[in-house]
Amino acid sequence: MFRNVSIAVRMTVLILAGAGCILGALIGYSYVSARRLLEEELREKAQYLADATACRIEVVERAVEKVVQSGAFMLEDREWDLEERYRILTGVVERNPEIFGAAIAPSPHGPAPYVCRAPDRSGEVVRRDLSAEEYNYEIWDWFTLPRDLGRAVWTEPYFDEGGGEVLMVTYSVPLRRPGYPGEFAGVLTSDVALEWLREMIASLTVGEAGYAFLISANGTFVSHPVAEMIMSETVFSAAEDREYPLLREIGRSMTRGETGFVPFNSLANGKESWLAYAPVRSTGWSVGLVFPREEILAVVLRLSREVFGLGAIGFALLLGVALGIARSITRPLRELEAATRTLSKGQLDVPLPAIQGDDEVAHLATSFDTMRRDLKRYVEDLRSTTAAKERIESEVHIAHSIQMSLVPRTFPPFPERHDVEIFAILEPAREIGGDFYDFFLDDDWLYMVAGDVSGKGIPAALFMAVTRTFLRSIWHELKEPGPTLARLNNELARDNDSSMFVTLFCARVHLPTGRCDYANGGHNPPYRLRPGGEVEEVPRVKGAVVGGLEDLRFEEGSLTFEPGEVLYLYTDGVTDAMDPEDRLSGDTWLKTQLGGLDRQADCTKIVREMRERLRVFTRGAEQSDDITMLAFRYLGGGS
Amino acid sequence: MPETEISMLRAFRSGRIMRILPVVLCGMAMLSAPRSEAGPPADVLKPVTLILQWAPQSQFAGYYVALDKGIYAKHGLDLTILRGGPDREQVDYLLRGRAQYATRWLTTALEDMDRGVPLKHVAQVINRSNLAIVGWKDRGIESAQDLSGRRVGVWEGQFRPPFIAFFKAHGIQPQVVPQNYSINLFLRRGVEACSAMIYNEYHMIYQAGVDEDELALFTLASDDMPLPEDGIYCLRETHERDPAVSRAMADASMEGWRYAAEHPVEALAIVMKYVREAHVPTNRAHMKWMLEKILPSIFPPREGLWEPGRLCRKAYRKTADMMVEQGLIRRAPAFEEFTAQECLNVP
Repeated sequence: MFRNVSIAVRMTVLILAGAGCILGALIGYSYVSARRLLEEELREKAQYLADATACRIEVVERAVEKVVQSGAFMLEDREWDLEERYRILTGVVERNPEIFGAAIAPSPHGPAPYVCRAPDRSGEVVRRDLSAEEYNYEIWDWFTLPRDLGRAVWTEPYFDEGGGEVLMVTYSVPLRRPGYPGEFAGVLTSDVALEWLREMIASLTVGEAGYAFLISANGTFVSHPVAEMIMSETVFSAAEDREYPLLREIGRSMTRGETGFVPFNSLANGKESWLAYAPVRSTGWSVGLVFPREEILAVVLRLSREVFGLGAIGFALLLGVALGIARSITRPLRELEAATRTLSKGQLDVPLPAIQGDDEVAHLATSFDTMRRDLKRYVEDLRSTTAAKERIESEVHIAHSIQMSLVPRTFPPFPERHDVEIFAILEPAREIGGDFYDFFLDDDWLYMVAGDVSGKGIPAALFMAVTRTFLRSIWHELKEPGPTLARLNNELARDNDSSMFVTLFCARVHLPTGRCDYANGGHNPPYRLRPGGEVEEVPRVKGAVVGGLEDLRFEEGSLTFEPGEVLYLYTDGVTDAMDPEDRLSGDTWLKTQLGGLDRQADCTKIVREMRERLRVFTRGAEQSDDITMLAFRYLGGGS
Repeated sequence: MPETEISMLRAFRSGRIMRILPVVLCGMAMLSAPRSEAGPPADVLKPVTLILQWAPQSQFAGYYVALDKGIYAKHGLDLTILRGGPDREQVDYLLRGRAQYATRWLTTALEDMDRGVPLKHVAQVINRSNLAIVGWKDRGIESAQDLSGRRVGVWEGQFRPPFIAFFKAHGIQPQVVPQNYSINLFLRRGVEACSAMIYNEYHMIYQAGVDEDELALFTLASDDMPLPEDGIYCLRETHERDPAVSRAMADASMEGWRYAAEHPVEALAIVMKYVREAHVPTNRAHMKWMLEKILPSIFPPREGLWEPGRLCRKAYRKTADMMVEQGLIRRAPAFEEFTAQECLNVP
């Protein structure tokens, strides 16, 4: 994705991406740890508040317990008559504003004095007898529980109808018959109105939107912001109705008298919250404080937003700085790039921008400048070398023309004669070469030669020119091929400092008769193509290469052509030709090819056909040697 | 053994009970039935009053549903339902003519008749008892035998005989502790086991945070001893004056129950409506449980156990014998004399 983007941008983007990741991780970490800290703090605060609230309730209850226990101690001391009992109860109610009413219920069934505040809240205290009208007080919890459990109890809270929907709870102590410590003699009770408790719980400030609730030992809601839940729902019925099993677990922990701080879905509004709870040990109740989670999160979120905002500003600044730095680093690179663009157009004289410092870019610039100077020098050298080469090439080209003009190139060469047909080609491997052929007519004699100078190129061409010149003049004089080669050999070998030599095949044909005399100076023997189809080598005659050593003798051979017979002369460029796999064509290949020629074809066609077959054989491989072919056909019968 | 309900009634008059009752009074307000448009016109409907044993709860879902859905009106009755409670002795209401019909347990009705109240049985709604004994597993109560010698809370009065019969049948002798209306003695471990209605106290214990796997549960009813509970009764004289009204009462009530069984969600909503109107301190989850548990004791879970709405002669005889045996009544009336259902087309 960055392939088409500048280094500065890429660098900036990558740095910022890295920095962004780090920043994000830091913000995330700070969010999590801040939340944890706040939750930790809340846990402590909430636990403290829950404990404090439970404690406030317990203080009142413990006070009531003390009053009732003292009363019981007094009652167990001796027998008291009914009026005395009423007076004791009146004292208890009047002196303890938190006590709504008090009763002594005897066992077995008997008059049960009950003193309570008047329902009109006038502060007046009224007397009643609970046993009147055969009221069976022995069936109620406040009587049976202390009797059957043998200890003082707080009852479950209940609504008092007479007091106008006042929530009450009763503390009840079993009485022992004076003088008979093991015998149950009834109970002394005190009723406590829970209005103050409900008001206190309702007025508790629990954060901004939190609330407090109170449950009894059985899990019944004694105080809760949802009024219809009070006394009709237990924490367990709420769990059942809302299909919220965790709440049941929480409820069990609360009614077991444990303290806790747990995640909780508010029963008032279903919001995710924290619940802190603490037990009121005297009654087995539990105070619960609900803190909406979003309230805590709001603080953390605000903090995180600030951190994020600052981070964003920092990020923008970082963007500017990073872009600036990246650009300052890549500026020399861009200048260098512009300069090299100019260089690439050939303007090597343009100096490269000077780059300060000793860093990688400066080193690069220095290397570039060195390269520019080297390049400039090289280009200059190349230019002079090329000029020299061009000059030589043109000279060689001229030499080629000259060399070509040294061999007869007009075909047919003797249009006035009908007894002879001759065609030849010369293809040097380079511009010029050491091969040559020649032929000329003298009276009824046709003189032919094909030769190959050792080596190639200019030295060979020069040696060939010398050879050809010597050969023509000597042959005109001596006529016969053997002596001619002997003389030529001596001429060439003399002062032959370059130690070059030439192979030659010389032949003269008496056209009226078809007789042919020939001599061979180390050359490939030519082939006779008989009109009947046979292909045979010209019988070998002794003769070494020409120009190597002086005073050599060259044996002369003789044969007679049939009319229509063809003599095919060639140089080793034909048999030493190589295909792309470096395989030589060879004598066998040549002989086979010659055997496959059309016998009726004229010499031009034979030579061109053979050249074509050789080209097929080499399949485009580079020509390694000069190629010369000469075909002569004896037609017979004089001119 | 004094009668609990009567004791409660008297206690209420004393004023002391006023702050103990879990029922909030709403005066003598009567709950009137909405008039069904499809039913007969109001002026030809027979005004009838039914008094229940207790405040509105799912135990009476069928009657409230029949009232709310206009089923009584459809049967030609302009029914008024009075809530019961310890402050309202149903027999008094019948004798004084403030109500014509009342729901009663079979055992209670037998006791009433033994005391000389001329009652007539009209329909048997609950044919199988929901009584049970609940024990603390962690106090070693796993089987009925474990109850022997342990403190077991047992209700007084007409609820008592089935427990005594249960103990006898299992050959066990627990230390019986009189149990009052609450479950607190059990919850505070004052007893190892206590009496419970499966549809009520058993679930209240659950709603006080005790898990079911902490409890051992023994049901008192068996196929042999089904112990029928709620039935519809009137004075013999009321029935003889107009048997068609008794028939309509039985038919409509059972149709209401049938509707409640087929539409439990709607029935629960209707019950909760009456619960709220009467300020009964209970909750929806408990009412749901109560309805779910009570229906199988009205409509038999399998064919042939009993016929819905009808008292089985054998069950009647077993219950009556048990009462006589325990000395709670001197004698029980003959089945034909006791019930009017043979001449009724009870569904």
